[in-house]
Formats: sequence, C-alpha cells, structure tokens
Amino acid sequence: MWAGLWASQFTTPPLQCHVTSTLTYENDCKPDENGKKGASRWSHCRKRGADGNLRKSYEVEEPGKCSHSSRRPESFTTPESEGPVSRVKNWGDEVEAEEMRSNVRRDMHRYRRRILEADFPQRDRKISSGSSDSRDSRDSKESPAKGDLETDETTLIRRQKQINYGKNTLAYDRYIKDVPKDMRQPGVHPKTPNKFKKYSRRSWDQQIKLWRVKLHAWDPPAEEGSDLQQIEEIDLGEIMDFELDVECSADTESQCPTSSGASLSLAEVIFSIYKHIPSKISSSDPILEFF
Amino acid sequence: SNLLLIFLYQVQAHDLVICEKLSNVIVDQSLKDQIFSREAGRICYTIVQAEAKQTNGNVFRRNLLNRLQQEFKAREETRKRSTQEWVCLVSFICNIFDYLKVNNMPMMALVHPVYDCLFRLAQSDALKNEEEVDCLVLQLHRIGDQLEKMNLQLMDELFNLLRDGFLLQEDLSSMGHLLLLEILEFRAGGWTLSETAQKYYYSEVTD
Repeated sequence: MWAGLWASQFTTPPLQCHVTSTLTYENDCKPDENGKKGASRWSHCRKRGADGNLRKSYEVEEPGKCSHSSRRPESFTTPESEGPVSRVKNWGDEVEAEEMRSNVRRDMHRYRRRILEADFPQRDRKISSGSSDSRDSRDSKESPAKGDLETDETTLIRRQKQINYGKNTLAYDRYIKDVPKDMRQPGVHPKTPNKFKKYSRRSWDQQIKLWRVKLHAWDPPAEEGSDLQQIEEIDLGEIMDFELDVECSADTESQCPTSSGASLSLAEVIFSIYKHIPSKISSSDPILEFF
Repeated sequence: SNLLLIFLYQVQAHDLVICEKLSNVIVDQSLKDQIFSREAGRICYTIVQAEAKQTNGNVFRRNLLNRLQQEFKAREETRKRSTQEWVCLVSFICNIFDYLKVNNMPMMALVHPVYDCLFRLAQSDALKNEEEVDCLVLQLHRIGDQLEKMNLQLMDELFNLLRDGFLLQEDLSSMGHLLLLEILEFRAGGWTLSETAQKYYYSEVTD
C-alpha cells in the first residue's frame, strides 16, 4: 500500500539528460611540437566506432538503443544547452587545456606575489629555484604597475603555448644547463618573454621570434639532432622512488631510498596489487575487508 | 595476464618506452582484471609523473585518456556483453579520476563521465545485480566526496535515485539493500561512517 502512495511522490526525478546525438569531433590536426610524423594522436580515437565501422560523426552511435530503451539517454549528465553540441574534444585535449589554464592561474598568483615582494624587499630574500617565465619583478624599471598586468586568460594561454614551443627544444635544454640563471647577462643571453606584461600582439610575437632565434645558438651539433627528439624513452631506473614501508619482494637492484617523494615504483605497485598487499593508499573499501 | 608479465619485465629491465602500446596494455588489463582495475590509477600516476619529469611530455596521459574515452563511449555495449567488463571499466575510470590530478585538482573532463557511469549503475536494471551495486558503492566510498565537491547537484540527484531504489525496488537482493543503506548513511554522515554504523556493517557477526 505504502509503495503505491510513495511511488506517486517519488517518481524518478527528471534527469538532466539530452541525447548528444549530433556530436562531431574537431577535424583539425595540430602539428606535433617536435615535428614528429608518427600516427596522429587523433587516429586511434575518431575514425571508427566501437563496433569497428568507420563513421564521420556520432549521430548514429548505438542504433540498438532506440527501440527498447526509448528513454535511456546516452548521457545522464550532459549539461543543458541551447541545441546540439557541435564540437566535443577528446579527453586528452580537454585535460591538457585544463592543465594549461590552471598553470597559467598559478603562474599569475606567483607573479603577483613576486611583484608585491619587489615593492617590499626583504634582506635575505631567496628567490625560489623553480622555473618561471616572469622573473623580472625585481627590476622596478621593468615591472608593470600592479594594475597593469595582462590578465586575459585566452591571451595568457596563447602566449604560454608559444613559450612552451620554445622550451620544448633541445636548444633550450642545453641553454639552461649551460648558463645558470644568475650568470645570465641581459642582451647576451636569451630571456623568456614575460607573458604577464602588456604588449601588443605584434610586439609579443616579435619578442618570441627573437627569443627563439637567440636560442638556436644552443642547437645541438648536427649528428645529435633530430633523432633524439623522436624517442621518448623513459629510464625508470633513474626515477624509481621507493617508499620504505611498502612490503614487497620487488626487485632488489635499487634498494637505496631516494628523495622523499610519495611515488611508488611501478614494479612495486604492480607487485603489491598482485600479492594483495594493502598499501597505505588504499581506503577502507568494504570489499577489501572481505579478503 | 601474459601481457602484463611482459610489461613487468620491461619495467624491470628499465626499458620502458612510452607509446600507445603502453596505455593500451594497461587499459586492456584493467578491463579484464578487477583487482587491477581498482589499482591501476596508481600505476598510471607513476608513469605520468615519470614522463613529465624525464621528457616534459604527456604522451602517455593523452593516449590513456583518449583510449578511456573510446571505452566510455562504448560502455552500454560493454555492459550488455559482460557485466564484469563493465564494472571493471567503471572502476578504472574512477580510479583514474582519483589518482590523475591536474595541479592537484581532479580532472574536470572526467566529472560528467564518472557521474554518467554512476547514474547508469543506479538504474533499476543495474541495481538488481549485486555486482553492479557493489561497484557503485565502492566508487562512492573512494571518490564520492571529491565528486560531490565538483558537482553537488548531480550527487544529490544520484542519491535520490539510490533512495528510491532502496525503498521501492522489489528485486533488490538483501545484500543490495544492505550496500545501499550503508552508502546512504555514509554520505549522510559526511562521507564517513559513525562508529556505531561502522560496527553494525563491518564487525563480524557471531552466530
């Protein structure tokens, strides 16, 4: 009896669901930063549907659905929108964009703090050794007035991308190894343009060009060149950090505890999973209790 | 499992090459192996860190996410084909959400997909399967509080469904009822169980 009463009140609340039936993927294929000509990073995610058939858009994603589960939406949580969403990025791109945005915001906070510090210099102030594109806050001639920063996120992100192109080069790597920051002479050594200063678009683009040209002085000699840029090998031996209290019969090659970072070595993580060893990280999920 | 052994061997030989293969191996294994699917996030996190440190790149993360997105798009078919694979997929996506953060923040791109999976598990045809309820409550235990912070309204809606299911659904198993009641209490307590509730649900019963 009560079920009937309650049922009338507790009908499933309307979910915000819209069949995202006309999604299409962007078709642009940005050139890889290092000029790699491998398979496009898009190629494995767009051409074919889950059933293996080629498709141009996601309009007819799962035809079997329409008949029996007429109300089953594809997505329960697609936010309401005016009409069909025309462009859906892949997750890889979305996350990179998120990361770029949050990096820029973090840089902005740091930069603002630096400017404030420059106004109130303290005696033994140590400059952090982290890399930053905007380190000239000390120089009062150059530093912008507090209200005069570039704050438009789109612009900042665009500029950061340009900076990243330049920093992702072997030349830059060699440069920073060659000339530590305190040895840099203005005019002689290339200096990363400060993305937070107000510049016109042309001025900024010009600065980036000049900066990159200057960096070429540190290009590797010809035989090292392009091959190295293609390979993305990771030598895990160098970065295997061990957490001392993970009990594991992992490989005993590199037992020496390194820096205090919380990262577990890959091998240990995998071994611990398969030996059902509870680690510090696992939460109190009820399932594990049953083991 | 053989693939994974090969992978382990490569790891030990310090011969790890970041490529599409690596992320595919991990995703494939996660879809087959329940234990792995719940823990693979840590592996991925370690690899992402390693790549960032060594080469400043994020090829692995990008490949991983795009592959994950493919699997996500095909989730309904996966569910029809194999409940085990489907719950592995959900576990894996949630595990990735838990471990792979962007500047210490959860990946926003995954919030809706994760909710999608949980909403799907909260549908009546899923609630009657203990395996699916089990998966649902596990994920909520692990990442419920983070998800709620990212989108409170969706979490409220999800729990409305769970309440409804608990009260109205006739074909819930008694274990299903228990799991749902526990998670309802868990969230109501601010994503933690009171001591008495903890005792009720988790201490051994001596008959």
